[in-house]
Amino acid sequence: MLELNGIHLATSERSLLNNFHAQVAPGEVLTVMGQSGCGKSSLLAYIAGTLTAAIRASGQVRLNGFEVQHLPTMQRRIGILFQDDLLFPHMTVHDNLLFALPAGGSRAQRIAQADAALRSADLAGLGGRWPASLSGGQRARVSVLRALLAQPRALLLDEPFSRLDTALRERFRSFVFERLRSLNIPAVLVTHDAQDLPSGTQLVHWPNQATHA
Amino acid sequence: MTQRQTPSQVSSKAPWWIMPGAVFGLPLLAALWMGVAQAADTAAWSALLTDSQFPHALRLSLWTGTAASVLALMLTVITVTRLHGTRHWHTLQAALSPVLAVPHAAFALGLALLLMPSGWLSRCIAPLMGWLSPPDVATVQDPWGLGLILGLVFKELPFLLLNVMAQFQKVGQGAELERHLQVAASLGYDARSTWLRVLWPQLLPRLALPVLAVWAYSLTVVDMALVLGPTQPPTLAVLAWQWLQDSSDAVNRQGAAAALFLTVTMLAAALLCAAAAVPLRGVFRLRWTRGDRPAASPRSPISVVFAGLLASVYPVVLALLLFTSMVGVWRYPSLWPSVWTDAAWQAVAQSVPALQLTALLAVLSASSGLLLAVAWMELTPPHFDRYAPVLACMPMLVPGVLLVSGLYQLALWWHVDGTVWGLWLAHSLYTAPYAWVALAPAYRCFDVRLEQTSHALGRRHAAFLWRVKWPMLSAPMASAFAVGFAVSVTQYLSTQFIGAGRLSTVTTQALTLASGGQRNVAAAFALLQALLPAGVFAAAWWVGKRAAARGVPVSNAETATA
Repeated sequence: MLELNGIHLATSERSLLNNFHAQVAPGEVLTVMGQSGCGKSSLLAYIAGTLTAAIRASGQVRLNGFEVQHLPTMQRRIGILFQDDLLFPHMTVHDNLLFALPAGGSRAQRIAQADAALRSADLAGLGGRWPASLSGGQRARVSVLRALLAQPRALLLDEPFSRLDTALRERFRSFVFERLRSLNIPAVLVTHDAQDLPSGTQLVHWPNQATHA
Repeated sequence: MTQRQTPSQVSSKAPWWIMPGAVFGLPLLAALWMGVAQAADTAAWSALLTDSQFPHALRLSLWTGTAASVLALMLTVITVTRLHGTRHWHTLQAALSPVLAVPHAAFALGLALLLMPSGWLSRCIAPLMGWLSPPDVATVQDPWGLGLILGLVFKELPFLLLNVMAQFQKVGQGAELERHLQVAASLGYDARSTWLRVLWPQLLPRLALPVLAVWAYSLTVVDMALVLGPTQPPTLAVLAWQWLQDSSDAVNRQGAAAALFLTVTMLAAALLCAAAAVPLRGVFRLRWTRGDRPAASPRSPISVVFAGLLASVYPVVLALLLFTSMVGVWRYPSLWPSVWTDAAWQAVAQSVPALQLTALLAVLSASSGLLLAVAWMELTPPHFDRYAPVLACMPMLVPGVLLVSGLYQLALWWHVDGTVWGLWLAHSLYTAPYAWVALAPAYRCFDVRLEQTSHALGRRHAAFLWRVKWPMLSAPMASAFAVGFAVSVTQYLSTQFIGAGRLSTVTTQALTLASGGQRNVAAAFALLQALLPAGVFAAAWWVGKRAAARGVPVSNAETATA
């Protein structure tokens, strides 16, 4: 369960978010919709712990009952997916996935885990390839696998579908939301496109914060 | 300013591409060829290989050049890993350009004044150590080359740091690297682990050329080695320079052979390193992906203090140059001179011709360098830029002694040795590539739609250039001019060779006086050598500031000098 209590966000010039509250159950997606540049991504950055000093923020972020807003990013175990896949270009697909896997087991066992994940995403046999040699859709799926293999307690989706073409976008959306549901991971999706909304999502319209089920 | 001209848009100008390429590259290639040709003499090689100083000089060159480059790279890695993402990072960014503008020779002289046995550092600790006379320890011009290594590290560290920052300031790429830090943090890695596993493996291959330039420079430096390096024997580059200045042709050819030997040694060493990088990468790959997340270590204030100490050396060195230029009588171990004098500055005032020649050469060659760089970018299709770095880096990668000996042969052939014209041509060969490197990022990113708009309004291309493009690019063009100006002012080898000893600049004066023992006059000239480019950089900064005030996007041309 991801809980956001009394979140305030503001720049030196204007307030972005006032006293925002939300609860996201495991497997559920909270969708925040608003125009580009309105500060939606700042909410994700606050939850992830990557907010820049230019934005003042306060409020409680609780994950499975524990407050995490004071923890550094690497200790929060909150995965992030951006518009770009951001695969590490100097690592093969296997290495990108092994980087995310928690330590433990032999290299062969770890590679087997990575291969199983690739098979589940119809990417079998691509482990030895470099990210640059993959198609956009393949890269997007690998980036989701990488985020999930780190066993996050929540996932933040910062317009991850916006760069994909229409056909690919639909398939990729289903791929992501199915996995979130099956792994029971709460997620926050930021988007400006109503087509990205998963079914049964909690919807927040930025900036008036009206919430719909 | 985000769009780039496409090759098709300039294809109509393609027949002209040969012009700047030829002006840019041919003299460089000719000089290189003539330098190599001068070394093509078996007697010269035999004399070189049997020379009693050669083995020791070669060992010294390899040791000082490699140690300085490795140390500079290590300090770069540590500094960036520790300071990136902190408030000190921005301070570092702001401080780098002024530090880089300090000429090598001036810095070497100031560092020598700081470190020498009777120098300021020794005087500071003399009361603690009970010294009444300078300690009998060679702290500069020491036989191990430690003073030279220190000087090179201090001078090359800012250059490498600037190159790393330039990678972060490249449009798109910088944002991606920053995002990689966030992604790795979200996967549970602290900043240090992320730098070592994710960012450095991506950055180091991109830094290969600057690192190679640092290594080449450190192996073959002459001006700094004359002030800080060992003397008996000196490094091989200094030995080659001495041989090249000899009145005997046979000894000159031996000098050219030594310069070529250094070049080949450097190339072989670089190839060895490139070959070793492949298996090393395999070993590191296993470490990057084993999944362990070391606990985040708190940022130690020691690294910040250490970085502050390192940074303080640069203003201290410049202050010491000013201080020493006014010293009359200064007995050891006093911290303060008993007699001040302006004799050194009077000597400078009497050397107005050297000052005038320095300024004239710098203005002329910076202008011609800028003109060539602009001509290259206006007349060549953008995809030719992939060849430009090879030309641009040639003066940085080829040992100065080899290139300059070839340039001298060219100057003799064209009958321009010992003339201002000859010096202008020689300096321009160095200023043009640097100006290109400084200008290219902003120039190539100029929004092509502005050109289309101007043409659609019925304006000719010349009107577009004079009234739209160049005014909008005034800041990066001023920066490129300042870079060219600084490069010209700091030329030592080319001025000595092409000037044939008949023409002197503040740089040649400073180094001649430094080896002659007139510390205060040498310090005055060295300070002047540092102040001249600083003044032009300040003017370029003002142009950038004015452009920014008018709302013209300011490019990162200064950082692009990397």
